[in-house]
Amino acid sequence: MTLELLEGSTAIARSAIAAGCRFFAGYPMSPFTGLLENMSQQMPAAGGVCLNAESEIEGVNMTLGAAAAGARAATGSCGQGIALMQEAIAEAALNETPFVVFNMARNQQDYFQSTRGGGWGDYRTITLAPKDVPEAVEHTQLLFHLADRYRAPVIFYGDPLLAQTRVGVSIEALDFGPLPPKDWVLDGTGGGTGRSRQIWTWAMGKATDPGPGPDGHWRAIADKFDAIDKVESRFEQAHVDDAETLVVAFGSAAKFVEYVVDELRADGHRIGWFRPVTLWPFPGEALAAATAGVRRVLVFELNAGQMLDDVRIHAADRSAVRFIGGVSIAESGLAYGELMDAPVIRDRILAAITGGARP
Amino acid sequence: MERELVVTGIGGQGIQLLAKTLASAATREGRHAMLSADYGGEMRGGPSKASVVIGDGPLRALPVLASAWSAIVAHHRFSEPALARLRPGGPAIVNLPLVDPASLPAMTVYGLDATAVAKDAGAPQAIGFVLLGAYNAVTRLVDPASLAEAMEELLPPYRKQHAQANARALAAGAAALDGPPAPLSVPAGAADLEEAPR
Amino acid sequence: MSVIDTSQPPSQPAKKVAEFSSPLLLGEHSLCPGCGEPVALRLLLEVLQELDIVQRTIGVVGHGCYGSFVRIMDVDVLQCLHGRAPSCATGIKRVRPDRAVFTMQGDGDMVNEGLQEVLHTAARGEKITCVLLNNGVFGDTGGQLTATTVLGQRTKTSLEGRDAEAHGHPIPVADLVAGLPGTAYVARGTVATAGSVAQTKRMLRRAFEAQLSGAGFSLVEILTMCPTGWFVPAPDGPGYLADSMEQAYPLGELTT
Repeated sequence: MTLELLEGSTAIARSAIAAGCRFFAGYPMSPFTGLLENMSQQMPAAGGVCLNAESEIEGVNMTLGAAAAGARAATGSCGQGIALMQEAIAEAALNETPFVVFNMARNQQDYFQSTRGGGWGDYRTITLAPKDVPEAVEHTQLLFHLADRYRAPVIFYGDPLLAQTRVGVSIEALDFGPLPPKDWVLDGTGGGTGRSRQIWTWAMGKATDPGPGPDGHWRAIADKFDAIDKVESRFEQAHVDDAETLVVAFGSAAKFVEYVVDELRADGHRIGWFRPVTLWPFPGEALAAATAGVRRVLVFELNAGQMLDDVRIHAADRSAVRFIGGVSIAESGLAYGELMDAPVIRDRILAAITGGARP
Repeated sequence: MERELVVTGIGGQGIQLLAKTLASAATREGRHAMLSADYGGEMRGGPSKASVVIGDGPLRALPVLASAWSAIVAHHRFSEPALARLRPGGPAIVNLPLVDPASLPAMTVYGLDATAVAKDAGAPQAIGFVLLGAYNAVTRLVDPASLAEAMEELLPPYRKQHAQANARALAAGAAALDGPPAPLSVPAGAADLEEAPR
Repeated sequence: MSVIDTSQPPSQPAKKVAEFSSPLLLGEHSLCPGCGEPVALRLLLEVLQELDIVQRTIGVVGHGCYGSFVRIMDVDVLQCLHGRAPSCATGIKRVRPDRAVFTMQGDGDMVNEGLQEVLHTAARGEKITCVLLNNGVFGDTGGQLTATTVLGQRTKTSLEGRDAEAHGHPIPVADLVAGLPGTAYVARGTVATAGSVAQTKRMLRRAFEAQLSGAGFSLVEILTMCPTGWFVPAPDGPGYLADSMEQAYPLGELTT
């Protein structure tokens, strides 16, 4: 394994291409811009296409088209731009077109956007939230696999730290096992055969071969997301066996929490941490088990309390749940504020443990 | 073992490039490195800060360092937040005419006039590489040859002509503290350089 | 010189052109009597056959009455979001450059919801063919004002007729597209008369030929009758079209 010192955006772009991504379209927006630039510079050599789309709406619909034609495809933005893409993400979930949406978010305020969606209909989006650049490299490839496996759009939840930190990483194609054949792809060869193909949210089928229609199709889609919910949740945890206090965090914030918890344990505190790796499906059963014996469940996230909802739904005792995060944005508006810092997190955890007021 | 370095100075001093060079040199040696940059829109004279972490295994350090073992202080302006995170006893390389060694009472301070050394080496633009050469002479975090190779690799094609001057600056920085490097000041009860960071 | 023997009946009975059905049609359309859209569909399918590209064509269909054609056209089709067909077609064509890719959109789809998509796609010179079925109203929702409704036309949201002061001016999208450098072929036809049907078919053929030769973006705007949305008797549709839409949107090829 040879390490290369790569900026997160470069590493993610290289990993996507290693996973077979051959179409990318996006609209510049910090901190997503670096990923778009990297894709634009690296895609031609891989025989792929990267378009600097005229808008987020056009970018995501180009991506939907490329995916419908069979390419591994991706788009991205930060949460602000992904807000514009919601209609197409919902459409792709309902017409079963797989692609990856890279949310290089400015902060953690897009948890609801990722896990609740903003489009119409009964759909969900598998969302992976890596904690650092090496994991982002792995998650990038896993997301292309999950998209194809379930024929659904999926979301990468990144942030400025993942986009801009340079880390020694190794990029190679990862194998996540076999996938169903892409026998649904529009390749243009179906015309005139009586078996021409169709990708359609309403799934009406052809006159000679009727489809299930909206009622049957949308029930099937809802069933599919139920099934994904049962098997695809991922999490990490540590020290839950003896913990009196459990801190729940996702993404980069979870890496900070892990660091602080290690320090506090060295100081003798009985404390552990729990990290949802998939924001959807949320690892609810695992969290219920992890919180069964603890006195307090602290939720740290850089927003006004979004994942907090899911923690409250699943915690063994919801009255034990305390929020220790908050909105914290850099002066530029483009990155985390001072709350994403180990000493600050340490103070907040200690204040919650000792029952003092939040600093 | 992980070693952290914070570099602080102003735009135009080569802060970002020196940090990137050190991180790349460690990576060339097959070690794990992390580089975080923090600068005010690449403006000359504005704040410029970077941090580098080097370790032999996957890194535990955060992209926003909780604390740091060592420092390079190229300019006193904007340096306060970075210096506040230094663990006492570690090495600090300071650019003497612009930084008062007394501002780092808890550190093992090594000083040199990087501007003069760079000028004498025929590389007046390469203040950052002088400081990096000196830092590595003190800490021996990487092989000096790795530094020179990383520096050359990072030069864009249109700046390849600076490779020799930069190499002289790295060597001159190391020589300025050579033999063995003697600190300007050592805090009372200073930890040994080889002590592992917590 | 051979002489046709008329002393015996022909081996096959004569058929009217109107009874001719494209083998690419899998069933009957479900649109209103007098609608022009099924005629346009037939022309499109005939052109695909004549160019022998049926088995390397991918269509992208927007939202309007013609959306139901997805069920009866024997062509690979992506039914896309309202207005977004040119973007979806761009993605398809970029990853399958050897395929013929077309969009089918109405005026509400292309000129209202998706005006920026078609303009950007044309400016990029994407090698696709956009087919606009322009009837000047939202037919699917029952006859409301669109961005191409001609001045004076009464709709359910302009009961006294479209007034420029109140409702703005209609947008001649084919003229806008024709002015963009990425465009290879743009034409405006209609299906209101037998002669115009033949002319429009030639336009569609040239548009696909422009795509297949790699010349650039092509668009054919087809003025279609919507007697239901216009609130006129079905037989009056072609005449109404000639008197209103054709006056605002002159027929012919817009690129040289």
